Amino acid sequence: MSAAGGVRRHHAGRRPLPRLLTCAAALVSLVVLLPLAFLVVQAVQVGWAQLHALLFRSLTATLIWNTVSLVLVVTALCAVLGTTAAWFVERTDLPYRRLFAILVVIPLGIPDFVVSFGWRAIFPGIGGFWAAVLVMTLAVYPLVFLPVAASLRSADPAQEEVARSLGLGRLRTFWTVTVGQARLAIFGGCILVGLVVLAEFGAFEILGYQTLTTEIYNEFQVGFNQPAACALSLILVLLGAMLLAGEGSVRGRGRTSRVGAGAASRARPARLGRGSPLVLAAMVFLVVLAMGVPVGAIVYLIVQGGNSTLPPASLFAATADTFGYSVAAGVVATLAALPIALLSVRFSRRRVMALESSNMLVLAVPGLVIALSFTYVTEHFLEGRFYQTSPLLVLTYSIMFFPLAIVAVRAAVTRSPVGLEEVANSLGVRRRSVLWRVTLPLIGSGLAAAFALVFLETATELTATLVLHPTNVQTLATQFWAYESNVSYSQAAPYAGVMVLIAAVPGYILGRWFDRQPERGAMAGGPAAAPAPGTLVAA
Amino acid sequence: MKDLSITGVTKSFGPQDVLRGVDLTVPHGSFTAILGASGSGKTTLLRIVAGFERPDEGEVKLGEQVVDDSRSCFVPCQHRRIGYVPQEGALFPHLSVGRNVAFGLGRGPNRKERVDELLELVGLSGYRRRYPHQLSGGQQQRVALARALAIEPDIVLLDEPFASLDAALRASVRGDVLDVLRLAGTTSILVTHDQDEALSMADQVAVLRHGVIAQLGTPAELYGHPEDPELAQFLGESNVLEGEVRDGMVTTGLGRLAVREWSGPSGGGTAMVMVRPEQIALGEPARGELEATVASYEYFGHDAVVRVRPGTEGLPELVVRVTGGTPLEPGHRIGLSVLGPVVAWPAPLGNGETPE
Repeated sequence: MSAAGGVRRHHAGRRPLPRLLTCAAALVSLVVLLPLAFLVVQAVQVGWAQLHALLFRSLTATLIWNTVSLVLVVTALCAVLGTTAAWFVERTDLPYRRLFAILVVIPLGIPDFVVSFGWRAIFPGIGGFWAAVLVMTLAVYPLVFLPVAASLRSADPAQEEVARSLGLGRLRTFWTVTVGQARLAIFGGCILVGLVVLAEFGAFEILGYQTLTTEIYNEFQVGFNQPAACALSLILVLLGAMLLAGEGSVRGRGRTSRVGAGAASRARPARLGRGSPLVLAAMVFLVVLAMGVPVGAIVYLIVQGGNSTLPPASLFAATADTFGYSVAAGVVATLAALPIALLSVRFSRRRVMALESSNMLVLAVPGLVIALSFTYVTEHFLEGRFYQTSPLLVLTYSIMFFPLAIVAVRAAVTRSPVGLEEVANSLGVRRRSVLWRVTLPLIGSGLAAAFALVFLETATELTATLVLHPTNVQTLATQFWAYESNVSYSQAAPYAGVMVLIAAVPGYILGRWFDRQPERGAMAGGPAAAPAPGTLVAA
Repeated sequence: MKDLSITGVTKSFGPQDVLRGVDLTVPHGSFTAILGASGSGKTTLLRIVAGFERPDEGEVKLGEQVVDDSRSCFVPCQHRRIGYVPQEGALFPHLSVGRNVAFGLGRGPNRKERVDELLELVGLSGYRRRYPHQLSGGQQQRVALARALAIEPDIVLLDEPFASLDAALRASVRGDVLDVLRLAGTTSILVTHDQDEALSMADQVAVLRHGVIAQLGTPAELYGHPEDPELAQFLGESNVLEGEVRDGMVTTGLGRLAVREWSGPSGGGTAMVMVRPEQIALGEPARGELEATVASYEYFGHDAVVRVRPGTEGLPELVVRVTGGTPLEPGHRIGLSVLGPVVAWPAPLGNGETPE
């Protein structure tokens, strides 16, 4: 029994909303939704006639086809790969399963464009649709693996036993019960995969595969064709919104129920028997492809390039700048998430939920689109002020990764029920003192996790940074990109290496932290139960 | 001497009236139970006393001091010296047992001694360095009590503290808590929906129903003299029969019975009669006694509950509690007799609904 878990929420939703908190939350939501509003402003300025002409041309159809087919194939592959791997790791007697549980997740910490860079470095001829499928699947399948593994771990194995006792075979039991239990988690993971693939730019640019995102970037940055970029952005946002809507409609129907409070027994792992070496080989193969290739390529390039080509000064400068931006974005996003998370956890009611979910709309807006709409507005309405300045870049990062911060801060706030503060008050302790002695110690680690999530994502962000970074500042990602574009692979490699180090190591620690979070509500095992670095959809 | 007095307290949440004028006095040093079904507003009342919630109208007084008059005067909970033990303890999960207990203590010199003293009081002497998650539910509950007692409160509020414990543990923790509170000599208020808990622990029981105190009295008064049939049902099982009161006796389907209490017109009249299950004795069918058929027999070890169908027309199925004995087969024919005087209320006029 957890000491804090039992505190009842009294009349949540009946108490009046605290005014200051509500104002803060509303303000944050407004800022977060600015890019979407700016996109609409842009579209209005461009005008329907021009938009119509831009939208209904064969290039648009090709781009949509390229993007949608890629999203569908990658999502399907990730669903199969992630679920199967999760089942092997969580529910079988696979040798070294605890080690695999870690190794299999690490690719999530490696930026997608670094993965494709690694493949391209080793197989220079690689490119096109299937190369994009391969790279993206290997880069993002952990988004399915993590929630499914969490859901399998928490699901009641008694259901499988009952199914077996009712005469179902092993395979049918797996399909109807196990997959059934994990279906919400699988679906949640798939939505994340879809959103990530929609927003990806660097990986496809490296592989020479044209999607909506690469075309938007080229229209805007290279061709300075703002109306075309705007039109394509509208399509991209619409596709993202469709994914989000699908997620929302399924979530409401999902239920995992367990009668009674008895502790679920630990699942007896399925025995692989003679299949064991085969499965082991397959898992090793997966780790080699997903982690071995990019990491190996980076190490190889650094070693082969030797020390002479290392530009240490600019590597340190880029690392320092990246670090600075990431810290700033982490702090801003975490603090901004606090009022909304506090409201939604402590005063759960319809208006607050609407406010919280409106922030999730930003998930449908790729970082590139956010960057472009800020560029447009600063150019047209602010005479270029703020454009390519550090504050605007930090604001962009904070908005992009705001949903991540919300998920983590919400989990943190849940750990400090209001009942504990009341008890502290009744013991004669002042409010401010309660904050220091009870609330902050309880939610501190969760706030740190929120900060770390945003920090990691910012440190490896490429697309928006390319558009908005101040001209005299290079981050690890932009410097990497500059060398990569020049085909100076061995010079690009150290930057990729630092990014992987920054992202992968703390990413693993974060993953463990989220695994320890208590289950919440009907989304048991869904993305909300075990979000991880790179996980975007919130509860 | 600090009595707690609650006068005319009302509270509503939106359209829902939770409390509709509660008057209650809790004498200094007593143990009072507030008994009510879920949703009766008992927790809200407790939270108003604690200072977590404010009443819409009415007044809460602690001794001579008004702590909340529902208008300008309000003493925040941290200044009330009221210990609060919520359901499941709500220990601070990040603090050790010792630090939990010491939470409300100032930085005094004998802080450690005080903590040891309190832990000894609740029987957890060796547990100072443990953390809440390493304790059982009952132990957590006792730490929460020690923490509340640390500030030497005038009143300790217990919000269904035993609800989350399993049945076997509940009785023993209940006993421990009662002993500790007696020893500490504090005024205690227990909120519960469990009538056994209220009757066995409290000196005084207040039944909260539909947002008002329906009856206040000692456990024996409440059980023996409930003010209406609904309260009778709420405070344990009862058989309610129709009858005719005349000259201190009531004529029912179970024969002429002595009336212990009658609040109706002095000349008598139609009545509702309560017969507790343990007031009915079963025996061999004998002449002159009422006969019945056994419908079911539930064996509990220390006693058994028998449901019987009387042979007489117009009598409902009766619940009878017997001690031990041999199990009775359904269909078995037995004789009934009523022991001791019964409680009778004037029958409601019209369609048989009980008055409020």
